[in-house]
Order: sequence, then structure tokens, then C-alpha cells
Amino acid sequence: MKEVQTAYSGARIPYGTWGTSYFPAWQMSALAEVNIGQFAGEAMNRIMGMKKVPVTVLEYLVLGSTIPWHYKFWTAPTVASCMGHRIPGYHTEQACATGLQAMVLGINEVNTGSNDVVGVLTFDRTSDSPVGVFPERRSYERTQAIADVWDNFGFDPATGGAMIQCAGKAARKYKLDRAEVDELAYHRYEQYFAARDSGWLAERVCVPLEVLNMQGRSLGMVDNDAGIRKVTLASLREMFELDTCVTGGGQTHASDGMACLLVTTPEKVKDLSPRPEIDIQLVAKCELRTQPSLMPEAPAMATGKLLERTGLSLDDLAVVKTHNPFAVNDAIFAKVLGYDWKKMNNNGSSLVWGHPQGPTLTRLAIEAFEEAVDLGGGFVLLNGCAAGDVGIAAIFKVTEGGN
Amino acid sequence: MANALRQSTLSTLGLGTVLDIFKNGALPATAAGLVDKVFGPAGDRGALVISGGNGIVGAGKLMQFGTRLLPYDIPIVSLDMPGAPDGIGMQYAGLRDSFGPDRANAVMKNIFQLTYDGKTLPAQLKGMNPRFLLEAIPEILELKKAHYGMFRADFPEIEIRSVTSGFPMKQLGVGVAHPAFPHQINKVWEIIEEEPSDVTKLMWALGMIPMPVSDDWSFVLDVLFCGITLAACRYHLATNMPYWKVDKYVRRLLGPNPVRAHDAIGTQGSSFLTWSCLHHLAKEYGDLFTPSSDMEERKETGLAWYPLNHFRPLVNWSFTEAEEDEFNVRLLGPMFQMTALMLHEKRAELPVMNAIGELCAQFRQGIIAAIRAYGPEKAVDYVNRYHELHPEAKDHWHPEAFAAMDTPEWQQLYVNAEHDGTVGVITISRESYSDDVDVELGRAIDWLKGQSIDRVIVTGDFHMSTQMVGADTTNFAAGLSDAAEGARIAGGWSTTARRLNDEFSVSVGFVNGKRCMGGMLELLMHCHYLVADKGAAFGMPEVTLPVVPGMEGCHWPFRRVGSDSWDNLFGLLLNGGNVKAGDAVGWLIDAAAPMEEALQVAWNIASGGDHGVQKRPLETGAVAGLPAAVEPSWLSTASAATDGGRKAIFGCIQQACAVPLADALDLQAKISGDYMAGKECNRGKIGSMIKKTMNV
Repeated sequence: MKEVQTAYSGARIPYGTWGTSYFPAWQMSALAEVNIGQFAGEAMNRIMGMKKVPVTVLEYLVLGSTIPWHYKFWTAPTVASCMGHRIPGYHTEQACATGLQAMVLGINEVNTGSNDVVGVLTFDRTSDSPVGVFPERRSYERTQAIADVWDNFGFDPATGGAMIQCAGKAARKYKLDRAEVDELAYHRYEQYFAARDSGWLAERVCVPLEVLNMQGRSLGMVDNDAGIRKVTLASLREMFELDTCVTGGGQTHASDGMACLLVTTPEKVKDLSPRPEIDIQLVAKCELRTQPSLMPEAPAMATGKLLERTGLSLDDLAVVKTHNPFAVNDAIFAKVLGYDWKKMNNNGSSLVWGHPQGPTLTRLAIEAFEEAVDLGGGFVLLNGCAAGDVGIAAIFKVTEGGN
Repeated sequence: MANALRQSTLSTLGLGTVLDIFKNGALPATAAGLVDKVFGPAGDRGALVISGGNGIVGAGKLMQFGTRLLPYDIPIVSLDMPGAPDGIGMQYAGLRDSFGPDRANAVMKNIFQLTYDGKTLPAQLKGMNPRFLLEAIPEILELKKAHYGMFRADFPEIEIRSVTSGFPMKQLGVGVAHPAFPHQINKVWEIIEEEPSDVTKLMWALGMIPMPVSDDWSFVLDVLFCGITLAACRYHLATNMPYWKVDKYVRRLLGPNPVRAHDAIGTQGSSFLTWSCLHHLAKEYGDLFTPSSDMEERKETGLAWYPLNHFRPLVNWSFTEAEEDEFNVRLLGPMFQMTALMLHEKRAELPVMNAIGELCAQFRQGIIAAIRAYGPEKAVDYVNRYHELHPEAKDHWHPEAFAAMDTPEWQQLYVNAEHDGTVGVITISRESYSDDVDVELGRAIDWLKGQSIDRVIVTGDFHMSTQMVGADTTNFAAGLSDAAEGARIAGGWSTTARRLNDEFSVSVGFVNGKRCMGGMLELLMHCHYLVADKGAAFGMPEVTLPVVPGMEGCHWPFRRVGSDSWDNLFGLLLNGGNVKAGDAVGWLIDAAAPMEEALQVAWNIASGGDHGVQKRPLETGAVAGLPAAVEPSWLSTASAATDGGRKAIFGCIQQACAVPLADALDLQAKISGDYMAGKECNRGKIGSMIKKTMNV
């Protein structure tokens, strides 16, 4: 593995001290009925229990979520209380990049010596998202009521356009071929179902969780990414085109869920991880903003910049995972960087298993780390788009026993 | 001990044996006589003072003593600091609900609330001639000692007992009477004194349950309750399992909800007391008792253990087999080690130690009985495995305390037997009949038979069991899903009960408490005679649960009476109500009288003396002529009976009476077992209770 410089040598992600709920689609599970902040706290506690990590070892909690939830004002301390361990922390959000940004911030907490064990907990509930009322007497409307998920997705206040228009616009810019985009989308489904049906997802990534009602009785099991249909290439090709190269099958869907992991010092990994010989550290990350409404090209551009800074090439990467709300994203990534899109997003991606926003990139990270471990280590590239024109990318180094 | 299976717990109070009670035809002490001794003769009674009377303990005990001492014209004084929040006024509603407004008013009227400055006693006290001080002030040793000094200076003859939550008598310099929560109604007191005193005997005579314990740090109840709370907290900290879920598993394993209990009592106060108890125990015995970090936090902050209503638990937890095994180790290990320590220190008679957990801390089966059920090797193994997980707790481990598990002290926790060479007395010290009681009763009968005793009285223990409430329905858990298991319980218990009829030339059931219900009544109706204190009540509440009586209650009483009494029996069985002893003579019981007279009648019957009670014959063939359908006149509109229960019980009566006695046991057991496993029982009170407890 190529030697690289990293500014994050004081922090590690201890292997196996992570987990994610399944991401049931919008309105498809008991998660549609809960306070997602409370759920996330309790679920992280449960996941850490299953991983044999007492939450009392945590010193700090970094939250990532994008959709307001009940008691959000009280942020990480309240979620930590739901987790059963009263620690400080804060909340961050960066639209669809939240999951990765929260990880980087958690890594910074350790790397700068502020804390030794930090929890990164990301979550969102797109179902029944709250409606914000914004009194602005100087505006034409004077007061607007905005449904947090759908109204925001439908309107970028910087450009006046919708998210989906970004995908169409970028597809036109790169002259994408609908047939290839459909083929790419179909491949992503196959990757997901292969991981799911082999049991890999259940064994390594997702944790089934039972949700209770107020009386303590079962409200339902969250034990699958509900709402995902197996598609055929033919069915994808027959789908109505919503915008250039964008169909219902070639874009993600809103979902609910949480994902969490720990960050700690190199010395403490052995106390937390079931396989402390596996070393996971952040090498570098970068963000950029591309031209307005060209969001799908932003991850490729952020990746290019990151590779340049680290001195790595695409050939050096063992695992590439992208948050791909549109199949168009991956097609552009391949075109811009000259990368075979079939090599990316093994085991699944947000195009297929949905997009609960906050935890999306955290689940991608967990899947990526597990895949890297399967491969015996290597560099892991995570990237994604956000907020109409932002790209984020990060490279992690995964080694096993120093290899 | 030559004539007793084990020592009677009554004798530890200096009150002799139960056999003595029957032979003497009188209780060993009366409240009136002991009131004279403790408070002085009528017309010159001194006062009872409870200091800290506004506190949870003080106010509760004011009510408990206040109601019981009301007939004896004893002034009750509550002494507290100025500004102490009123804890007495809030007791009134409960008092009124229990005793009616007139008696509640009378009790309150007799309570004199005085305040003092902590340094000198109020002048009014002198005019009240305090004779007994029950101290319930804060747990500060020097404060307590100064308090006693103040009283002794003014009232040198005063009897003093501390309710302390942990200080031993040797530090306090006064005797200890440590009560159990909830203080208004719980009758159990752990008593530390050199010799059984008149105060202790008075408590017994007033219907309370004093239990002598040794003069060591903390108490049996507190070690058990605080210990199980600590074990639950340590499990939580090791695994993250939320308290509410740990509680559910603890309840399923042993019975208590220790964490919830703290919130129910009042988080900050109870958490402080638990912490304080463990803190002092840890000083004596090390890490086995060291309070956990979350206990420290709770006692400082009062933060509730359970989530608030708006954060009711959302994510469920469950066990894998390995996780459940670890849970058992982390809970049973420390509990067994703590119990071994108490046994090593001889803190109390084993039946007493066992009963304290059941009567005061919701243990489904007392801790001694639980350890006995596992056996010495497994019990020791649990502790050793706990030490592998928590090595710091290795000190003060006394595995040898489990070595004598085959002795009567271990084996007869609930049932004892005594005899004078001619008449035996079997005493049951548990209010409900269980598998444990059944096995112990069998052994007691064996022992008496081995001693060539064939005349026997079966009764309560005149100490820890103040009533006989029926079957311990938690034993029915397996029967709810397995008819054969239900039949096994019913058949097994009935077989034991029949020995009282079959294996003695004379057997007398004697009801000395307030009530005798359900399975306990079925047990005693197998005796040739059934005698009761006239204040006792009888009932067969099975139809309200609903469950079909399994211990032959559906045919045995019909075989003992003529058809003219069957209406009474149908009414009893199909309505689930109560009947007073005096109204049950002749068709359900054989004699009822005031206590002393009843004791004498029972003894005369058992010993072959003149008693004038006619023995009712037992029909061993089929019972002929039973009504084929339920008569509306039998049924009470006020009954809480279920229709399904009535139908099943009436059907069982028909079938079990239609066969000879020899066949009836198995038949009734099968019907009872089948019904237990059916929908109605599962959906009824027993099913709901067991599901709530066992399905976590």
C-alpha cells in the first residue's frame, strides 16, 4: 500500500464498533412513528451492547441529522441521555453530506486530543417530516410553511431549481446515454441484492431493531430495507423519464434510519474493537462547490481534488463508495475520472437502499470498511453530493496487522 | 429440638412453640397484657413517641401503631423539627379508605404533633410520660446518639428502638426495629436486641411480624434489596441494557423490580438509602457491595431511573442464550454470595431470611429457597463465574455456607413440624401454597410418621404467615401452555393433601389468621376436622381468576356433607365470595370460636379429649343426586365470577363427583390442567399476571 501523509494520525475508527439500522423507505415501517432522536440514542446503545462496548466509555457524542426532530434544541446531550450515558456533544448537519462530515468532526475531536472516545451518531426520519413555519413579514408571502423534506428537495433557494433538475442538467452536460444509466442502475440493484441475499448485510452492517409503542408492546421490527423492489433491466428501460436520464428506478428514495460508529485513539482501539489488529484511519478529505445545479458532478470533482492532494490515484483505491442519489452521479464519476462504474459500490449504495439523509454516508462508510476488510485492506474512497452543487470526498486507510 | 423438625421461628421471639400454643389453649402473650408492660396500666398509660414523625418511615409507623394501639388509650406523639414537610396529613386518605372515616378520625385525633429544636425536648412531653421512643431521624450516628441522650436524661426508663437503615445496635447503643416498606402496611420488622423484649412481643401481639436478626451492618432486607439493585446496575453498566429492561429480566428471574421500586418510592431518597446501605457494607465487606457509578449519580441528583413519559422505551432488547446465561451469572452470583455472607454471619434463622425477601422485596421465591433449588454446586458455580466477570468481589466469599443444604434448616423453610410424642403440629409459614410448600409438607408428614405420630394439627406458624391466601399462582406459569404440567401440579398437590386424610388417624386443620382461601382451603379441607378462629373468612376465588380448583375443591367438600348443604358449596365455588367462619360451620368447617376456645377445641380433637365436634363422613363412592344444571339462586349478582369459569367449575363438580374418590383426584387434576392451558385462563388474571411477569 502506498505511503501517504495524514493529518489525522491521532484518531482511529475501531473495527466493528459500528452498526446501522436498516433503512426502511418513507412511511414503510414503525420508524415513521417515532421520535428519531430518541430512537437513534436507544439504537446506538443497543448496537454498542451487541458489540460489547459499554457506552460508559464514550466521552463525547457528535450527532448528524438534517430534519428537525422533537427536542432537537437539546441536541446531543438529550440523545446521549436516551443512549443511557450522559455525555456532552453537539449536532452538525451538511445536507446529504452530513454522515461523512459528522465522522470527520468526530475524528477531529479525538485527533486534537479533546476526547479519547467519541461516538458519531447520524439519523433522520424523512417520514412525516415536520413543517416549519417561517414568519418573514418583509417577504411577499409574509409567512411560509415548509415541509422539511419535500419542499426542500423541490426548491434550491440559491437557484430556484429542484434536486432532480440538477441530475437532468448534469446528464445533459455530460451527454449521458440513458441506456448506460439504466444499465448502471440495474447493476447497483444487483450489487445490493447480492450482499443482502448472501447474508453479508445482516452479518456485517445492519442490526435488526424492534420498535415499541407507548405501552411497551411491539410496534414493529425494523429488520429490512423495506420498500426496495427487485427490478429488471427491461423494467428500468421502460420507466418514464422524469428528466434527462432520470427515472424512478434511477434515483434514490426517502427513507428513515440511523447509523453510528466510534472514534478513538490508536492506543484505545484494543480496548474497544473485537479485531484491534485492523487499523482504520482517515487520510484526508475535501469539499468543493461546483457550478450551480450541477450537483452530480461534484463528487467526481471533489475526488479528483482529493487524489491530487494525497498523491493517490484511482488505481490505489481498494474500495470506492458513493452516495448516489441519482444513477447519473456514478455515470458522471466514471466519465470524469475514467473509472469503471462496475467496480464501485459493491454491496449496495444509497441509490438502492434509500436516503434518510443524515446517516446515508455513515452507512456507506460502514459498508466500505467491511468491504475493505474482506479485501485484506486498502484505501477506501467515500464521496457524495449535497445541497445542489456541493461535493465531499474522503479517503480512509484500512490495514490489517500493519499490512 | 428432639421433638421438632427444626426450631420454630416463634420461639426466637421468646414466645414458645406452636405446639405449646395448642397445648396451653392460649396464645403466649396478649396485646392488652403487653401494653400494660410497655406503656403502663390503664389509667396511667405513657405515650409512644415517634421522632422524625413527618418522614416516610415515621409517618407510616405512626399510622401502623396508631390504628393498632387505638383501643388501649395510648397517646401517640409525633416529634419533628419545625418546618419539616407534613408527612402525616397525607396519610389520612389511606387511613380513611382502609378503616372508614370514624376510625381514621379517631387515629388522627390521638396523634399529637410536637416540634423541637433538636437540642431540648418540648415541655409538653413530660406531661405525656413517654414510655417508648421509636426513633426515625436522619442517618447521622452522632445525631442519633444525642437524641437518645436527650430522652434518657428526661425519661430514664424509656424504651428506645431505632428504625435505622444500617447502623448496628453496638454503635447506636439502643435496640433496633428496622421496618420494611411500605411502612403503613408492611408488618415486617427486623429486630436487634439482646433478648426478646416486651416491645417486640407487643409488636407480635398487635399483628406485626418482628423478626430477630443479628447485630451486623445493615439488614437482611437491605442486603437483598440493595444487593439486587446493585447487581442490576452492574449488569446495566456492563452491557448497556436499559434499566427498564434489566428490571423485567430480574423480575422474571427472581421477582423484584428493584430499579423501578426506587422511582416508585421516590428516586432521590430511596437512591440515597440504597447507596448509603451499600456504601457502609462496602466499607465492611469490600467491592461485593461498592455502589456503582450510576447509584452515585442518582443519589446526588434524584434523576429518575426510568425514562420520563415522553421518552418511554422505544427500542426493545432481548437475550441470546449466551447473554441470558451471563445475566444469570451477574445477578445470581452476587446475590448468592451476599446470602452466603449473611449465612456465615448467622444473621437470621433461614426461614426468616427466606421470608424477608418474599414479604418485603417481592422475591417470588425467597433467596434461600432459590439457592436450594439450584443446589450447592450450582450456587457455588454461579458465584465463582461471577468472580471471573467481576474479580474485585472475591473477598468475603463463604461457599461453606451452602454445605449444610440437606439439613432441615435448609429443607424446611416453609413447613415445620413439632410433636409431643402423641400429637404433631405441622406449621406452614407461607401465605400461599407452592411447589416448595408441597414438597416440604410431604417431608414434614414423613417425619411425623417416622416419629410414629398419627394425630396431627395443620396450621399457620403464628408468626410469619398471618393468613392463608391460596395457591401461589406464579407456579402455574408452565401450566398455561402445557395441560400436562397443570395436571401435574394439581395432581401432585392433591396427593400431598390426601395424606392428611389417609395417613393420620386424626387430622385437624386450624385457621388462625384472617382468611383461608383457594388452595390453602382445599388443603385443610382434607383434614378430618377443620377448626377456625371465628374472625376468619373462607373462600374459593378460583372462579374469578378464572381457574378450575385443582386440589379437589370441586368434589371433596361435596363428599363431606349432605345434599342440603350443596347449595352453599355451589354458591361458594361459583361466586368466588367469602364466608365467615361462623357461617361455614357444618358444611365447610367443623367448628369456629374465639381464638383461645378454638385452640382448645382443636387440641382436644387432636389429642383425643372431649370436644363435642361431630366428624363428617367422607363419601368414597360416586356422589349421587347432584343438580344437573346451575340454579340461578346460587349465583350472586355482586360476584366477580367469570361465566367461563362458572361453566368449567360446574362441569368439574359434575364429573369429579360422579366417580369414586379413588378416581376423582386424577380426573379433577386433568380438568384443572386442561382449563389452565386454555384460552380463558390464559386471558384471565393469572394468565395476564404471568405474561406480564414472565414474557419480557
